[in-house]
Formats: sequence, structure tokens, C-alpha cells
Amino acid sequence: MSRKRPSLALTLGSIALLSLTLLVADLSAAQTPKRGGTLRVAYGNEILGLDFHTVPGYEMIWVATNVGCGLISITPDGKFVPDAAESWQISPDALLYTFKLKKNVLFHDGTQVDAAVVKFNIDRIMDPATRSSMRTFYEAVHSVEVLDPYTVQIRLKHPYAFMMHMLAAYRMGLVLYSPAATQKYTAEERRAGKPEAVVGCGPFRLVEWVKGVHLVMDRFDKYFEPGVPYLDRVVIRVIKDPVTQMAAFKAGEIDFIADFSADHVDILRAQNPRAQIMTGKETTPMVAMMKVTVPADGKPMSKDRAPHPIFNDLRVRKAVACYGIDRKEIVKIAFKGHATPWLGIIPPGTLDTVDVTPMCPYDPARAKTLLAEAGYGPQKPLTFELLTNTEKSVFNVIVTVIKEQMARIGVTANIRLVDKPSWLTTTTQDGPFDMYVEDLASLLTVDQNTYLSTTTAAWNHSRHTDPKVDEYYTRYAREMDQAKRKAIAREFQEFSADKLYWNTISGSPFYQIAQPWMKGYVYQAEFKVHYKKVWLDK
Amino acid sequence: MRSYVLKRLLQIVPTVLMITLVVFVMMQSVPGDPVVVLLGDAYTEEDAIKVREEYGLNKPIVVQYSIWLGKLVRGDWGISILSGRPVLHDVLVRLPVTLELIVLSMGVALAIAIPAAIIGALRQNTWADYTATTTAMIGVSIPEFFIGVLLLLVFSIGLGGLLPSSGWVYLPGTCPMMVCGVSLWGNLQHVLMPALALGVGRAAILTRLLRASMLEVIRTEYVTTARAKGVGERSVVFKHALKNALIPTVTVMGLQVGFLIGGAIVVETLFAMPGLGTFGIDAIIARDYQQVQGFALITAVAFVVMNLIVDLTYTFLDPRIRYA
Repeated sequence: MSRKRPSLALTLGSIALLSLTLLVADLSAAQTPKRGGTLRVAYGNEILGLDFHTVPGYEMIWVATNVGCGLISITPDGKFVPDAAESWQISPDALLYTFKLKKNVLFHDGTQVDAAVVKFNIDRIMDPATRSSMRTFYEAVHSVEVLDPYTVQIRLKHPYAFMMHMLAAYRMGLVLYSPAATQKYTAEERRAGKPEAVVGCGPFRLVEWVKGVHLVMDRFDKYFEPGVPYLDRVVIRVIKDPVTQMAAFKAGEIDFIADFSADHVDILRAQNPRAQIMTGKETTPMVAMMKVTVPADGKPMSKDRAPHPIFNDLRVRKAVACYGIDRKEIVKIAFKGHATPWLGIIPPGTLDTVDVTPMCPYDPARAKTLLAEAGYGPQKPLTFELLTNTEKSVFNVIVTVIKEQMARIGVTANIRLVDKPSWLTTTTQDGPFDMYVEDLASLLTVDQNTYLSTTTAAWNHSRHTDPKVDEYYTRYAREMDQAKRKAIAREFQEFSADKLYWNTISGSPFYQIAQPWMKGYVYQAEFKVHYKKVWLDK
Repeated sequence: MRSYVLKRLLQIVPTVLMITLVVFVMMQSVPGDPVVVLLGDAYTEEDAIKVREEYGLNKPIVVQYSIWLGKLVRGDWGISILSGRPVLHDVLVRLPVTLELIVLSMGVALAIAIPAAIIGALRQNTWADYTATTTAMIGVSIPEFFIGVLLLLVFSIGLGGLLPSSGWVYLPGTCPMMVCGVSLWGNLQHVLMPALALGVGRAAILTRLLRASMLEVIRTEYVTTARAKGVGERSVVFKHALKNALIPTVTVMGLQVGFLIGGAIVVETLFAMPGLGTFGIDAIIARDYQQVQGFALITAVAFVVMNLIVDLTYTFLDPRIRYA
């Protein structure tokens, strides 16, 4: 017996050691990226076009960040990392940004990425004739100078605290196009996705885009980062219906859903317990925007403004949007709890956010008092139009809940449901509406919001004329001291919650779904969808 | 016969022109400006004015339509305002998918309707007849998208991906792009559920119609005579009764093509198929006038041609019908 015990222990020990070794070996093999394969991606919306500097829409951006490269990029924790630039320097007065470029960066047409390329691209974006949606972000840029073939310097007119954020990730950040291809082909050909015209320096090159059918990208073998991308090919298809997306995911027909409906997350999770469901703090605001001025002469976009008959009165704005809206109830019903009730102009996941939601507790009695002060009551009931669009089903649910909440304070909200182009035309061209529900741009910083809410912005849908809003944006963007900037952000959010030119009701959640075999993907909300380090473990 | 076909083909021209004109005017009347969609975040009033000038959208509707027509005569279907893509190219890429879907849906409809109607007519007021008519009623009542969702739940989710839920695989030799999935079996797998979803409703309508026609025909004297002469029941039913009973059904089949095109929009969206239906609805939603015109043109031509084919099949069904 005494001789058998050590033998048994030894045997068991050996088995355990061997199992452990095999397990470790298996795990390490599982974590070693495999090359090859095709990643099948589903988008919920159509790509509108492929001229990265001009075409709107996140779906285009998620292509641009894979076909194109830029100077720098940003990590999920907000650190700037090199892309085509290998290093950079910012002058003490924050007016000069000098970038040293890597010497091995090639465009897909074989031409070199150098300082002249950077200048060409920034000049193109800043040229009003290009009509780039990025132009507004380059307001601070004075000029771009080529110091030597691989050194480029951006000179600013005034300090701009978010220059690096802007270059890294405002919309898609600065994406470089091959000047040779850009000059050879027309903007229309680039927009149409002609592969010879859409030439970037990213990890994937465009093979084919057939609108409504698919977009195909193949690995660029001369990509400057060694070893990546791992995938041979990425195929993007548009599947609009979430039920069909779920069916395709369950059947293993797609590997990745780039933007999944929050309403269906619980069902998908139940059907696919091993699915990777990725989300984070919301960076997009869900707003119930109120119009505060109207054209005095009846001509849309007129600079001559008159008060909006209902919502120019701050008491009414506060009664309806502050105390009359139960944000928690909206989140519970419309998002099944998968969102954050919110009031501030800076969404919960955006830099320098502060929760000012307690400034507007749900208080129907107070709302009624304020309405009475403004002259509304049983004798003169308040009725307004609540506009939304059909782009997302959740908008419809939210307006229905708001209508119900308004009824509780004696207010009638008449819902008007239109399609997205009609909504865009009404709101952006100063058309008639009282309040609308929509989720707007995803924000890395609130500085990105200038084109949506300064007094002169075309997208200033509330048409407020308060110069204090512009001052806040300017002070925030030009303050280089981080602590002081934070203080300005807090002040701005409190001001915004008090005036309600911008009325957030919650964050708008963003979900991405991946099969268990899709590895190496890093979630960065709507800002970045990179496939270069993705690999398939199957 | 030849002159009749030529005359009918010539009639297509004014019909299609009228349809495209009505669609053009309607699209321009609908609220929503493609320029706002095109410019997106970069929208400014000044740029919007310039873009409208560039695309001729500031011109009167009649002038815009004339320009479109002038280009069409030269074979130019125009360029999508939003994507910059040639409309004709995108229509031709999408057309085979929808054509196949419509033809197979009609095939599904006939495959269900003919036996159900014959059984219903020959065994009138029996359980078989009640089953056929009740099923037809249910089929008429259920919309395509609901049947489609049920099929998805059963065949794609429930049965572990027995049939693909979305996308398209082309028939060998029909790939219109650089990159395609091509396989006969794959194509059949992809088209089966959409064709069923679209065909079942049509089957129900055709069953009811054909059953009524069959009931009428089997009581006619020539059917009685055929039976009295000792002609076999199969021959009586298929050669004498069915062929004559099919005439009103074929007429309705032609009209059903319009419904099939409409249904294709729903079914293609549900099954994420790259067909003309999704092309049309995306174009309408985006207010992409050029693409909407392309969609209207091709569907109008398809509808008129299909009805011409239907008219010509009358001569096969009833040799007494002659087109002078």
C-alpha cells in the first residue's frame, strides 16, 4: 500500500500536469491570431457614397477607417497613437502641430504618403468647393506647410484644445486620399465607389461596391504595419430588418453586426448565449428639441427672427421638457432600461460630461404651475406638434410616451411621423415644427457639436439666437488647461440644462454584435470600426 | 399576330411615358429634399443652392422631366443624385434577382392553386373542398411579411439554418458583378423562402378564381358530352375543363404581376435581397429622383410586357381566339 500511494499520486499529478500543459497550449494557440478568411459584416443602413471627405453617414465612415489611414488614431481610453505619423510635436503656444511621417506608408495605387499628401488632403477639406462635412472642424487651421518630404506642420489661427481629437476621430478623423487618384477621377466617381478612384492607405483596399448589394475590401499586402491585417477579405452587406439580422446571425451567415437595434438585444442574447455583445456609455444624445424662434418675415432661414409662439417662453420649455418629461419612464419603456436618463448637452460617454439630470426632476405639479404662470390651463390648453421620423422604431415609442406624459400635465402633443428626408428638410431648412425627437451625432467631445447648436449653424434646429452658447463653445475649445476646460464644460452643461435650447432626454445606446469566433476587435462606439486586427478563430 | 404584337409593343411607349411622368411629378411633390440628404452635416443654404443648380433641380418640373426624357432617348438613364452611380447599371444588377423571384413566386402560386382548385371543384362541398377554400381564405388574409417572418423563424432559426435567411447567390452565368456567390443549389436555397412568402398570397387568390371557373366549366355541355363519349376523367379535367377555365385566371395572373412587384419590395427588404424592390424603396426614401425614375420605368415596362405575354397565351388556351 505504501508503495502504491506515491505511484497513484504521481500518475494523477502527471495527468494533471499534462492536462494543464495541453490546456495552456490550447489557450495560447487560441489566442494566436490566424491569418486568412472572410469577415461577413451586416450594416443596418445603406452606405451613401464613398467620397470620404464629403459623404454623410456612419456606414461610410466605417468603410473609410479601413480603406484610409490618417495621421493619428485614438484608443478607447483616449490616448493618441501613431497612424501614418510616427511622432508629433505641439508648440508651447499650441499654434503649431508638427508631424513626422513614417517612410513606409503607401497608398493602394503604390504612391507614397508624404508631407505633400497631408497638405493636399487638408487643403481639399478646407476648400469650400469640396463641400466637406469636415470643413467646420478645420476653422482653427490657418495653413499647412511642408517642412521636408516627411515633415508637415499645421499652423493654427488660435489655440484649439481638440486639434488632436479632431484629426484622430471627429467623424472619421483625417483620412488621406491618394492625390494622384483624386486628381485623375471626379468627385462623382469617388462617391460612386469606383475602386480606382477610392484610393487610401489603410489596411484594406476597396474591391467593389455595388449599392444595395455589397461592399468588398481585400487585405492590402503592402500595409505599413507589419503582420496585419489578418483577414483576406471583408464583405459588408446591408440587412435593415433586425429580425433578419438576428436570423442571419443565429444561422452563422454573418460574423459581425456593426450597429444593432437596442430593442432586440435581449432576444439576441437569449438566442445566442455565446455572442459577444459590445456596448458602452452612450456618446449620442436622444433629444426632444424645441424650436425657440421662427422667421419673422416667414422666409425659412431668415436672419430676422421672431419668438416661437410656444417654446420661446422659458417657463413653457421648463414645464414641458424639464419637469413634464419623465426621463426614467422613457428609458424603461423605449429602451427596456438599456440607456441612461440624461439631461446634459454632453452625453454620458463623452469627454467632460457631468450629470446635470437632477436639475430636472420629474414633477408634474411644478410643470402645471409653470404652465399656469405662462397663461396655459383648462381655459387655454397648450397644444403642440411632436415631430419624429421613421428611421428608428424607438423614436415612435418615445414620442408616444411623451404624448402620454404631456396628457398628465394637461398638454396635448400631436404626433407627426414623417420619413427621414422629410424630417431633415423640415428641421434643417427652418421648416415648421414645435418639438422633435431624434438622436443626433455621436460625440467624442462636445466641441464636435458646434455645427449642431451654435447660433449660426445650419443644423441649429432650435434656431436659438443666444450668443452665450457660442461663447461657451469658443471658451471650451480654446482653453488649453484641462482643469479649467472641465470647469467650463460643467458651467456649459448647467447653462444648457437651465435654458433648454438643447433638451436631451437620454443617451442613445449603441450595440455591436460579434460571433464568438471573431477575435481581436476593439469596441470604440460609433467612432471607429477597425478590422485590421480582427481574425477568425474557426 | 405579328402586327398585333407590334401594335401592343408600340402601345408600351405612351403607357410608360405617362407612368414615368406621373411618378416624376409625384416625387417632386412629396416633401423631402435630396440635396439635404446629399449634403448631410455639411449642409448650408449657399451650398444647397449650388447643388440644386448643378443637378438642375432648380428648374421647373416639366423642364427637368424633358431633360430626363432626352437623356433616356440617348440610352442614358441618369446618375443617382446621392451615390453618383449610373442608374441603368444598378437597375441591371438588380433586375435578375427580382425577375427570378417573381417568376418563381408565380410558379409557387400555380403549383398550389391548380391542384387545390381542381380538387375543390371536383369534390364540391366535401371536406377537401372546404379545406382548399379555407386555406385559400387564410392565404389571402395573411400579408407577405408575416408569412416571411414565420418562414424565417422556422427554416432559418428553428431548424438550425436549414435555409439562408438573407442575401443572394446567383445562378451560374448570371453574376453581374466582380464578386458573387454563384451556385444553382445556393440560388434555390436563397429564393425558396422569398418565393413562398410572395407566392402563397397569390396562390390563394388564384385558387378561389380557378375553382369558380372550374365549377362553371365542368357543368357545360361539352364536358358532359366528353364524359358521355367515354373520354377518361383525367383527360376531361385537364384537356377540356382546365384549359378553358384557365382563361380568366391567366388574365388575373397578368394583373397580379403588379402586386408581385409591390410584394417584392416587402419580401426583398425582409430577406435582405439585392433586388429591384429594395432598390426602389431605398430610392423613394432617399428622394433619389433619378433612381425612382429608373425603378418606375423598368417596373412599368415589366408590367406591360408581362400582360402582353398573358394576352398571347390566350391563343394557346383557346385556339378560337385570334389576333388580327
